[in-house]
Amino acid sequence: MSVNKYRPHVLVLPEDDANRQLATGFSLHEAVATRTIQVLPEAGGWTQVLEDFFSDHATAMDQYPHRLMVLLIDCDGDDNRLQRARSRVPHHLVGRVFILGTLSEPEALKADLGTYETIGKGMATDCREGTNHIWGHPLLSHNGAELERLRPQILPILFQLP
Amino acid sequence: MEINPATLPRYAIVYHPFVIRRLYIHNFRCLENFELPILGQASVLLIGKNGAGKTTVLLALEILQRIARGTNRVGDLVKPKDLTRGRTDVPMRFEIEVLFGDNIYGYAIAFEFPKGFKELRVLEEKLTFNGAPVYSREVAQVHLARTGRENEANFFIDWHLVGLPIIQQQSTNDPLSIFKQWLANSLIFRPMPSLICGESEQETLQPNLPVTNFGAWFAGLLAYAPSAYTKIDDYLKQVMPDFKDIKNPVVGANSRRLVVQFSNEQGSMSVPFEDLSDGEKCFMICALVLAANDAYGPLLCFWDEPDNYLALSEVGHFVMALRKAFQHGGQFIATSQNGEAIRRFSEENTLVLHRNNHLEPTIVRPLTELQVRGNLVDALIRGDVEP
Repeated sequence: MSVNKYRPHVLVLPEDDANRQLATGFSLHEAVATRTIQVLPEAGGWTQVLEDFFSDHATAMDQYPHRLMVLLIDCDGDDNRLQRARSRVPHHLVGRVFILGTLSEPEALKADLGTYETIGKGMATDCREGTNHIWGHPLLSHNGAELERLRPQILPILFQLP
Repeated sequence: MEINPATLPRYAIVYHPFVIRRLYIHNFRCLENFELPILGQASVLLIGKNGAGKTTVLLALEILQRIARGTNRVGDLVKPKDLTRGRTDVPMRFEIEVLFGDNIYGYAIAFEFPKGFKELRVLEEKLTFNGAPVYSREVAQVHLARTGRENEANFFIDWHLVGLPIIQQQSTNDPLSIFKQWLANSLIFRPMPSLICGESEQETLQPNLPVTNFGAWFAGLLAYAPSAYTKIDDYLKQVMPDFKDIKNPVVGANSRRLVVQFSNEQGSMSVPFEDLSDGEKCFMICALVLAANDAYGPLLCFWDEPDNYLALSEVGHFVMALRKAFQHGGQFIATSQNGEAIRRFSEENTLVLHRNNHLEPTIVRPLTELQVRGNLVDALIRGDVEP
């Protein structure tokens, strides 16, 4: 009776505390249906995100076909990290696993955009309305293609569209 | 698309209507010269070790709430044992500033315990509206400021009685009435589900600390705003998909008893409210909080450990439902020791309370001022989060 495993839902696996707060802000958006998204405890590093995904979540995703997962990892300046991580997702799960992250670290976003919760809410607004106010930030804009893939999937799940 | 960060909206503190802007407590139990840095935030989490003073903040607010609800005998509000380490040479002081839209209401009361007295008495009391006094008081002498067509007045009241519940409000729109009603309607909880039976003999909009008058609150809320049932129903159906409805039938000359009905494709069953699990009773309380904030809010809700009694899979959703409900009006304050609850707040709305030992007072710091490395919950488990 938490997130309903048998209905479409989204699990967010953040790398660290900063990404966890971004996800919390996203979930706080007034249009996000609270019980369709679950932010998991922070993994503790981007490699740990992938380890946790393969050890705990990949099998569970086979078991629960309505589950989508969003992995939040930092690039720490490594442009190719997200792509390398995506290439490791099992082929049959590619359509349900999405990997997003800041180019450096989310801490750098705070200076420009405010608190993590404020940024997270802005990300949700962008997702819902198709805008790019937050996702267009230089530290986030490289996520564009992944967002294009993610948005049509999560819109009907997370947002109580008018 | 590349954008210039300089053109993006920067974060600013947003003052939501009807929120506490300042809370100051002095010489009350472990709180000495204590100011809660709450700054009008819509939701705030208080964390800290056992005995740090989190619940004492709740009890201080409850004293103010009980004054607004009509308890005026000082001895019924505070006792000499509530003075910090029995210190009688310093007044016990409570001060609160509340932002209502563009207006600031301030209420301050100080108690003293002179030699030879058996109970504390009022030393000072003041209600202000945008900085101007509505009334002020020193010991027994009250000065009522000039308002509208009413002249100023001076009179005496028993120094063992608090003035706020006694002073006559002129209309429902005067500052005294608005402030008192907001404070009286605040929801300050330490629920004790095992004691909540769902029976009621009257209606109220003011649940008590353990929420043992849940039945009366349910009846009062629906009498005040029947449409509130929709909100209650919506929430409970999300949390318990087989929830069907709540009925509150008459069971005696003057009493009612709540019955909850569940149904699914296998059939239906009615459960007396008292037989619900402790966690399910907390869902019911949460549903009423959400509905009450809509119906007669914006409200202050201070919930001591809202995660108590809940399954781990429910804690996060429960806290997020409350945070979301109050982000556009009202204020939600929680205390917690639960990692799942703590993770649903962020550094800017988490306050850390700490006491070095039982002889020293509580200190409080925003989490943003502390250097917490890595995972906050892990750091709390290690005991590394200290101001």
